[in-house]
Amino acid sequence: MTKPTRQLTDAELRERRLVFYKEDIQSIDSALRDFLARSKSKACLLVDKDGHLITQEGQVSRSDTDTLSALVAGCFAATREMARILGEEEFTALFHQGRRDNLQLSLVGSRTILAVLFDDTTTIGMVRLYSAETARKLGMLFKKIATRDPLSTPRGDDEQLSEGFQAAAADTLDSVFGEN
Amino acid sequence: MVQINFANKEIQCKIVYYGPGMSGKTTNLEVVHKKAPTNSKGDLTSIATEGDRTLFFDFMPLDLGNIAGIKTKFQLYTVPGQVYYNSTRKLVLQGVDGIVFVADSQADKIEDNLESLGNLRGNLREYGRDFDSIPIVFQFNKRDLPTALPIEVLQEKLGSGSAPYFEAVASTGEGVFPTLKALASLVLESINRDKREGSLTEVKVASSPTARPGAGARPAASAAAPARPAPARPAAAPARPATAPARPADRFAGRPAATATAPPTAAQPARPPRPEHTGRQVTEPVGRPASMPVGKVRIKEHGHKSRMILTLVIAAVIVAAVGFVIAKYI
Repeated sequence: MTKPTRQLTDAELRERRLVFYKEDIQSIDSALRDFLARSKSKACLLVDKDGHLITQEGQVSRSDTDTLSALVAGCFAATREMARILGEEEFTALFHQGRRDNLQLSLVGSRTILAVLFDDTTTIGMVRLYSAETARKLGMLFKKIATRDPLSTPRGDDEQLSEGFQAAAADTLDSVFGEN
Repeated sequence: MVQINFANKEIQCKIVYYGPGMSGKTTNLEVVHKKAPTNSKGDLTSIATEGDRTLFFDFMPLDLGNIAGIKTKFQLYTVPGQVYYNSTRKLVLQGVDGIVFVADSQADKIEDNLESLGNLRGNLREYGRDFDSIPIVFQFNKRDLPTALPIEVLQEKLGSGSAPYFEAVASTGEGVFPTLKALASLVLESINRDKREGSLTEVKVASSPTARPGAGARPAASAAAPARPAPARPAAAPARPATAPARPADRFAGRPAATATAPPTAAQPARPPRPEHTGRQVTEPVGRPASMPVGKVRIKEHGHKSRMILTLVIAAVIVAAVGFVIAKYI
């Protein structure tokens, strides 16, 4: 077991939340499209370490991606634990070889994972090379996003939760789970 | 942690079913999967042993649909209950937004419940999370068994206090939806509360919070938190069954007080960068982001040292060669 961590304050917990705005996702998507074109991979997903999909490019049906994201994060978390036992801080890349398709996972920054699906139209070397390059690009992008002054970019209504969110949530929960 | 994506207009939250082995966590998820509207649920995925015991986790995405224009998705996980799977159990807890603690109501399982609850507290502590500040709902399962303890006894023994609870017979589906509904409501309420505090208008991605220069703009919102009136948590109350005593308000009324005891957020911008980020990050070869300037500087230093060593070696070789020539001919 690792040493107990200092308890986080409410403010720090909110800070740890991942919030993405339109321009962030556009920039990430652009980097991922560029990566796919250069590495000749089939698809890629950017997933946070909690198992939530951030964005995707290429040929993966949306219905599969939630589960795939959860498994990618679980896989990486398990590998991290193995690394800890072996005295490594973290393994930063993982490779799963299949008969037709392969999956390469790379750590991007400290909180996200790039999952790349590719077949024999390219090679693991190409994918690793461009994954590392893309991870660096995205890392820089994340730094830029994180250091941006939030007050310098006023957000429209479509980039904030609306005032009626809680009331709408109650109605939705009633419709999904029934009124008990 | 909740992920909010305004480009896709999507919120994703992580809910974990926790509890001792064989208390009914996977059964809960199976019932949710069976009863949830078809257009809301994804596949139920289990990483289980041959004997159908959960090995790593069970997982099911649940799409609640549009809430005030935002697509809201819950990712439901269970953990393996057996004591010896704690390392995997802890991994599943990473970034959790809400917990359903599934307790086995039987008298001879009370120790198992207590052990699991203590384990939950310990694992959360290791992530720096406080058990009392995470949305949690207790489910007292297997109420149909003759050996089931009275609710009051379970509450007292487990110290569940004023947390919302539900009685359930998960094998028949009874109590499963109300439990999840109550927790979902608490989680969404916590997101909404953060919105009121203004923290959702900022972007935090993959960086150390204290290192972010923009943090100076935040104290006003954070400092206002202690003064915030205790939310009535209206969403939790209607979701509770008649059997639940009117205590949740106590627990959650206590939460703003806990916020008030936290270190003053106004002091945060002045806090020096955390020293623990300076040590080991250079060892990560792939994906080392530019947000880790210390690591980059060290790599540069390393390159500089290499050049110096190379220069010294070349100089030594030249001196040795000259010495050899001089010794031979003079």
